[in-house]
Amino acid sequence: MVEVELRGVWKRFGDFVAVKNVNLRFPDGKFSSILGPSGSGKTTLLYLIAGIYKPSRGEILFDGEDVSQLPPNKRNVGLVFQNYALYPHMTVYENIAFPLTIKGLPRGEIEERVHSVARMLHIDELLDRYPHQISGGQQQRVALARALVKEPALLLLDEPLSNLDALVRLEIRGELKRLQRRLGITTIYVTHDQSEALAMADLIAVIHRGEIQQVGSPEDVYRRPRNLFVAGFIGMPPANLVKATVTRAPAPCVVIAGGGEYCPGEPLASKLEALGLEAVVVAFRPEDVVLGEHPMEDYVSLEAEVYVVETLGRENLVTLRLPDGQAVKAITSPLLNPRPGDKMYVNVEPSKILLYDPETELNIEAIEAAPAARPVSLAEASERRRAAQEED
Amino acid sequence: MQGEGLLAGLLGSLKPRRRRRQPTEELPLASRAVGYTVIAALLAASLPIILSYTLLVELSFSASFIATPFEKTSFTLENWRLFFQGRLAPTAAQIYTPSYIRRMILDTLIVALGVMGVVVASATPAAYAFSRMNFRGRGALMRFLILLHAFPGVALIIGVYAIYVYTYRRLALGLHAGEAALLAYAFLYVIVARASLEIPMSTWLMKGFFDRIPWEVEWAALIDGASRLRVFTRIMLPLVKPGLAALSIFSFMAGWEELIYVVVFLPSKAPTLASYIHSQLSGGAIETAYLPVVAAAAVVYLIPTILFFVFTQSLLVEAAEGAGVKA
Repeated sequence: MVEVELRGVWKRFGDFVAVKNVNLRFPDGKFSSILGPSGSGKTTLLYLIAGIYKPSRGEILFDGEDVSQLPPNKRNVGLVFQNYALYPHMTVYENIAFPLTIKGLPRGEIEERVHSVARMLHIDELLDRYPHQISGGQQQRVALARALVKEPALLLLDEPLSNLDALVRLEIRGELKRLQRRLGITTIYVTHDQSEALAMADLIAVIHRGEIQQVGSPEDVYRRPRNLFVAGFIGMPPANLVKATVTRAPAPCVVIAGGGEYCPGEPLASKLEALGLEAVVVAFRPEDVVLGEHPMEDYVSLEAEVYVVETLGRENLVTLRLPDGQAVKAITSPLLNPRPGDKMYVNVEPSKILLYDPETELNIEAIEAAPAARPVSLAEASERRRAAQEED
Repeated sequence: MQGEGLLAGLLGSLKPRRRRRQPTEELPLASRAVGYTVIAALLAASLPIILSYTLLVELSFSASFIATPFEKTSFTLENWRLFFQGRLAPTAAQIYTPSYIRRMILDTLIVALGVMGVVVASATPAAYAFSRMNFRGRGALMRFLILLHAFPGVALIIGVYAIYVYTYRRLALGLHAGEAALLAYAFLYVIVARASLEIPMSTWLMKGFFDRIPWEVEWAALIDGASRLRVFTRIMLPLVKPGLAALSIFSFMAGWEELIYVVVFLPSKAPTLASYIHSQLSGGAIETAYLPVVAAAAVVYLIPTILFFVFTQSLLVEAAEGAGVKA
């Protein structure tokens, strides 16, 4: 279909910088997701790709061809808006047929294509109705049908499921993914819901404050968050982030409150050494915690006090306090039911622990080898300074 | 009991929805008293208007010249016969041809429809631009429109008249335009001058309708391959239909009711209904005028207003609520 590439794309609205220097590549025929909290610039990014907004700087390429200055009607994209944006004065049939009517296709062909796409999305019973006469889930399908009927090279979806109730959302989620596979159409899906992105996407781009934080597979983003924002955003609940100090006696070790000590192996140890950090942020997922009454061998064990227990049915979510007051969450079996105030040990397998530089907020593992480490972060620092100046 | 029903009907026509949900029987005593007080106050306030309209209609059907609605008189269609025969001033023994009255109604229609056409054709695209496009001086221009609306039409008439005299002279003496062309120019001038007084507020009214259409609907049409013009005609215009209807009606009524510009610019041989009624009542004319026939003309003059209320109430409610515009 089409490969989409963004090169150094910026978007400004007056003094507000909505998108900062975004470099991204959405592979041909894949299901990609732009994931970020509200106000992160993800919809702006989608509108830039659709051509509704023009970039303030940078290029947008479709299959290597610069389309930055092309209006949306010349880009051959389909877009499903968050509020569906159906034409209220047209029937469902007329809504779906609109892109084809505009093209001036013969009536017979229009009818055939509208009916075939309506059958595919199970809305062929609704063609005579008006948008206000059908349910939200059905409106969503109509919007999707209208986007697909012109056989676009690129399908853009702006939080299409956020206005639906939970059950319909799960149903359409699976269907959407199957449909994308079947049609092989390059799809970019904007969402603030990480479970949607993790479940559906081949590639996730996490965006925050207009900047891309990490690009990778769902596995990458979940298992190896590139920075503290991603670690604290992805996951239900997100990763535990605990401040810790670094000691060197003689090898570098990380000392965590509650009596935990983690001495990383190579190459992490030498990186830690080379960076000369005094403090780090330790990250581990709540589901990687083994909660017990005793410290476990070969695990990093932290002594903590149970603060609150939430029963979630399939599992229990236990919040604990380390001796210095920092909170740690753990997901445990529903059979384990500690009482608030109990002393417990938070045991984490060393391989599940990630370390972050509190200054740059980057994953230490992801920072390049020692000699290159400084220049990279310097370049980033200057980039940040430039961005700050841009903002002023 | 019958009186109560009538009052309930009256109130019902004012507030149809709320009335249906709360029938009188279920109202507690205190709020019922409040309701009657309100109705009585409304009646008292509108009594002078109701009385004068009653007198007007009654006079047009009465055989003798009455001065209050309660005077004794007998029913006749004579005044209407005289009116449609064009014998508008029988006491003065003037003889008019029957075509005169048709011309009068036609002239009024030309002015009203002309004003409507000019207002709708210029205020709608202007409102779209104010609502959707970003251009330099947009805010200042919008404030300026309000200022323009604040000027009374009468205050402008000297300037408007000066331009008229200048252009009319050029047309008549410089270009040797014929009588028919000059008359057409006079109509055109009245229409454009009157319409220009309506355009500022109409633009604001229509802008409100365009503002209520979500941007996404317009973007969706752009992405579906439509050009900006196509989006305007195929998506935006159908969605502001209630607004277009309201605008058409208001500007039609403005043209239909216009008096000052008509009296000043149209030659006296081409009166509209308004200027005819005015001519019968102003100066010394009222001494000789046969008022029952004038009353018949005034009743005809009211017809659009009555039709307007009969047919457009639901439409205007829809317009006020912006129904059908939400995506």
